[in-house]
Amino acid sequence: MVLQSKSVSVKNPGPSKLAAYIKRFLHYLPVILTHDVTLFVMSIAFFFSAWELLASFGLMRIPKITNVFKYLWVLMFDPLAGRTLIGHIAASLNRVVWGFLIAVIVGIPLGLAMAMNRYVDKIVGPIFNLFKPMPPIAWISISILWFGIGETSKIFVILTGTLIPCIINAYNGVRLVDPQLYDVVRMLGGNKRDEIFLVQIPGSLPSIFAGVQLALSMAWTCVVAAELIAARTGMGFIIIMGMNLTRPEMIFGGIVVIGFVGWLLAAVLNLMERWLCPWKREI
Amino acid sequence: MAIENTDRHGESFFTRILPYLSLTAFFLIWQLLVDFDVIPRQLLATPIDVIKLFIRKLTDESPDGALLLAHTWISVKEAFLGYILALTVGIPFGLMMGWFRIFRGLTQPIFEIIRPIPPVALIPLAIFWFGIGLSSKVFIIWISGVIPCVINSYVGVKMTNPTLINMAKTYGATSWGIFFKICIPSSLPMVFGALQIALAYSWISLVAAELVAANAGLGFLITMGRRLIMPDMVLLGMAMVALTGAILGFVISKVEKRLLAGIRR
Repeated sequence: MVLQSKSVSVKNPGPSKLAAYIKRFLHYLPVILTHDVTLFVMSIAFFFSAWELLASFGLMRIPKITNVFKYLWVLMFDPLAGRTLIGHIAASLNRVVWGFLIAVIVGIPLGLAMAMNRYVDKIVGPIFNLFKPMPPIAWISISILWFGIGETSKIFVILTGTLIPCIINAYNGVRLVDPQLYDVVRMLGGNKRDEIFLVQIPGSLPSIFAGVQLALSMAWTCVVAAELIAARTGMGFIIIMGMNLTRPEMIFGGIVVIGFVGWLLAAVLNLMERWLCPWKREI
Repeated sequence: MAIENTDRHGESFFTRILPYLSLTAFFLIWQLLVDFDVIPRQLLATPIDVIKLFIRKLTDESPDGALLLAHTWISVKEAFLGYILALTVGIPFGLMMGWFRIFRGLTQPIFEIIRPIPPVALIPLAIFWFGIGLSSKVFIIWISGVIPCVINSYVGVKMTNPTLINMAKTYGATSWGIFFKICIPSSLPMVFGALQIALAYSWISLVAAELVAANAGLGFLITMGRRLIMPDMVLLGMAMVALTGAILGFVISKVEKRLLAGIRR
């Protein structure tokens, strides 16, 4: 018995071992197939192959992925309307930064003042509520009428979009500070100034930061919209040029870059939030 | 996110009328600035001009080819179509993403690729594909509405109390059974929360799409006002956009309250 089995294994060691491997593999196959990494790879592969297939069949007038990235690579060195890709991104970001900074510098103190002072609230609040339901993009036309199609009109549009979340979140942040914290400061002998600087401002900082994040994504949307309607530079200009020249790789390339920069901006603010207000523990 | 006055103590007569005073002063200063030519008339119209144009546009088609209500109706129709489509696609999608692991694994990477793109950036693409008619607007509104729907329903399912799920498993419930009987009901408050957010996003994108290219709608009214250098028409368009958006938001918030009242016994 022993000899026989030995001889079999010596004579033909491959298949039985291989069969065992195959059997084991088949046993684990469902686990491997439904593993998160496999699913992730399959999903990305499906997305890009579906895109490539649609593109090669010429359906929906989609450009090939390779063409999109080739176009972006060409645009890195070959200027369009006097600027390379980096120049256009910088032009858009420049507008965003200016509008955003003005909104933060004006909006947050205004929101804080509205929350802390009854009279400011009563005077500014109604006017603010009048403008709140207006989509910032609706301001583009009047902004062009007032400031032309230069930088000022874009910055103004971004300002209208970013002021609102800054004000609302600063206001709500102060309103939602835990009332017990005031009692603590008063009990420890703090005056009004301590209340503001030790309780109200640090307490509202997480909410303010949420508003700033909202404002930045809104600013990015606004700048793209403003550039779509009238501009000579910027990412919105690239995609609207692509539409006018019927060059799909230009439209897609612009969209890819806009999405990527938007994602990058959000990621940077997320990091900053962790660094600036580590006491925020949510979810 | 509405700002409410929570001051309860010491409401004097002065502080009570202060908001009205402030609004009156705002409109009065606006009117006077234009009347005394501090701001030239081709840049800004007075509030009275806007109201006059509003009354005229109710019955007169003249500068832009349609009545005010016709423009409003076109915008509302586009917004509503895209919004309903976004809800019917986004909510089931998000719910499934929250519960079924394999479905989530397959769809989440694609969703994360598309999510950071501002819907406004897709407007040229929509026009390129569908022209400047109804379908391109519906596409844009659908895209901008579907993202908050997916996120909210996904988070809603994810926040289901795990004790309930474990209990159901102990009693031998199937995966689909848990999904329908536990996950969906417990995620409903979050899902209804998406109604408002999706509407606000859709309305912003709609205005942007109409500003870029349209031949009717409120955004078109604003563009025509700019082309004809009629600041009163631009302001009228902006006011109608804000007003219609606020009314739609109000209606949806009522619907949301009614729906929530049904599940919170």
